[in-house]
Amino acid sequence: MSKASIISSTSSTRSRNPMDLLDRYLQAVGFWLPKAQQRDIIAELSEDLHSQIDEKEAELGRSLNDAEVDDILKQRGRPVLVANRYLPQRSLIGPVLFPIYCFVLKMVALFYLVPWILVWIGMMTFSSSYRAEHTSAGWLGAIGSAWSAWWLIAVFALGTVTIVFVALEHAQAKSRFLEDWNPRKLPPVRNPNQIPRSGSVIEVVVNLMFGIWWIDIMSDVMSTRVLLDRPEIRIVLSPVWRYFFWAFLVLALINTVVAGVNLARPYWTVLRASFRLATDAAGSGLFCWMMKASVLAEITGAHISAARALEITNAVNLGMTRVFPVVLATGLVIAVVDVRRILRVRNGVPVQLNGAVSAAVV
Amino acid sequence: MTNGTQGGPEILENLKMELRRGCLIVAVLAQLRTEQYGYTLRKALADDGLAIDEGTLYPLLRRLETQGLLASEWREEDKRNKRFYRLSPAGQQILTQLLEEWQNINTSLNKILQEA
Repeated sequence: MSKASIISSTSSTRSRNPMDLLDRYLQAVGFWLPKAQQRDIIAELSEDLHSQIDEKEAELGRSLNDAEVDDILKQRGRPVLVANRYLPQRSLIGPVLFPIYCFVLKMVALFYLVPWILVWIGMMTFSSSYRAEHTSAGWLGAIGSAWSAWWLIAVFALGTVTIVFVALEHAQAKSRFLEDWNPRKLPPVRNPNQIPRSGSVIEVVVNLMFGIWWIDIMSDVMSTRVLLDRPEIRIVLSPVWRYFFWAFLVLALINTVVAGVNLARPYWTVLRASFRLATDAAGSGLFCWMMKASVLAEITGAHISAARALEITNAVNLGMTRVFPVVLATGLVIAVVDVRRILRVRNGVPVQLNGAVSAAVV
Repeated sequence: MTNGTQGGPEILENLKMELRRGCLIVAVLAQLRTEQYGYTLRKALADDGLAIDEGTLYPLLRRLETQGLLASEWREEDKRNKRFYRLSPAGQQILTQLLEEWQNINTSLNKILQEA
């Protein structure tokens, strides 16, 4: 017996048009049901609805009109929802993987999609050549084309993550690999206000080594501004390097001292977190300045023509200018992290897990 | 949502629904010790104070039948084909065990409430 015949046969006991509301409702529910169960479920649903209508008619002593049948069907619910209740619970990504999926999506957005926008804004703001190249059709056209490019990237990135997780879900459903876990492999309790000593040691070493190398290499260079002086090539830095030399040296020394203090007292305080923001901002500012400052004065060489040497010099300076938006965006991200750290320390969010209290030492 | 944005009556309704969910299965199994079809089963449950909507009852009946706890057959009654459900022998066993569990939970709850 086909679905249509079930529907018409169930309604034949009533003096209704085969295409009345009830039949249309049953047909709509049947559409969402799997073929194997469709006939059975529709027959039972049809019988139940007819029983309800019969009871109502007996109560009223007359046949129900369309509006009253309409009310009964509305009370039953939208066909797709009614059908869905008969189906097993299904999900592309199940509850075990879903939180991880959301976390990965957030990471992709935070470290790929948002930086993409920041770099674009930086390029449009600070790179005249990029701006000229992309605003030939006006600003609206530039925004439109960036939006469509970003949209494609976002769909591709998020779609790829989703497909990977759907595949993982299938694998998880078969092998249950996520159910095999070891509590001993969980990461140690983390206090966000604690400064890892390993990080401080690395900072001290790196900054000290940089400072020594900087003095060793650059103190001689600063007197002549000649970075490389060989018969085949000679590179001369621009005068602005004098400022860079001292600024980077002072910054490295300050960072060494701060890292040393952090090593001795490994908890963020508002003062030290603010100091970190200031030094990071100074470092970012220096790098930004460096990108825009035309760092090379000239390049000459025995086998390079003057025109070619000028071309290379300009290309290096221009290349650094083009990197500027990326440096700026990186600096902004670092500043946001630093500001969040200050707020976290200032709000004094204590971390208390299982008796292991780790309060910020202010 | 459970982060404090939910109103009190809504929380109560959700908790009541959770509490009823398990009880409904026991009630359906118990009610089907006598053969019934879906509509009369629903009426009987409602008359005994355990109203259940059709969207929940029929999928539940199918699930219990798939699990072998219920048996069903189509029969004509009052000139209409109706599907009659009854408790299967396996269902009878499970019902007995569930009722024991229910008694245990009830005893434990009463004990906890008396202690409080």
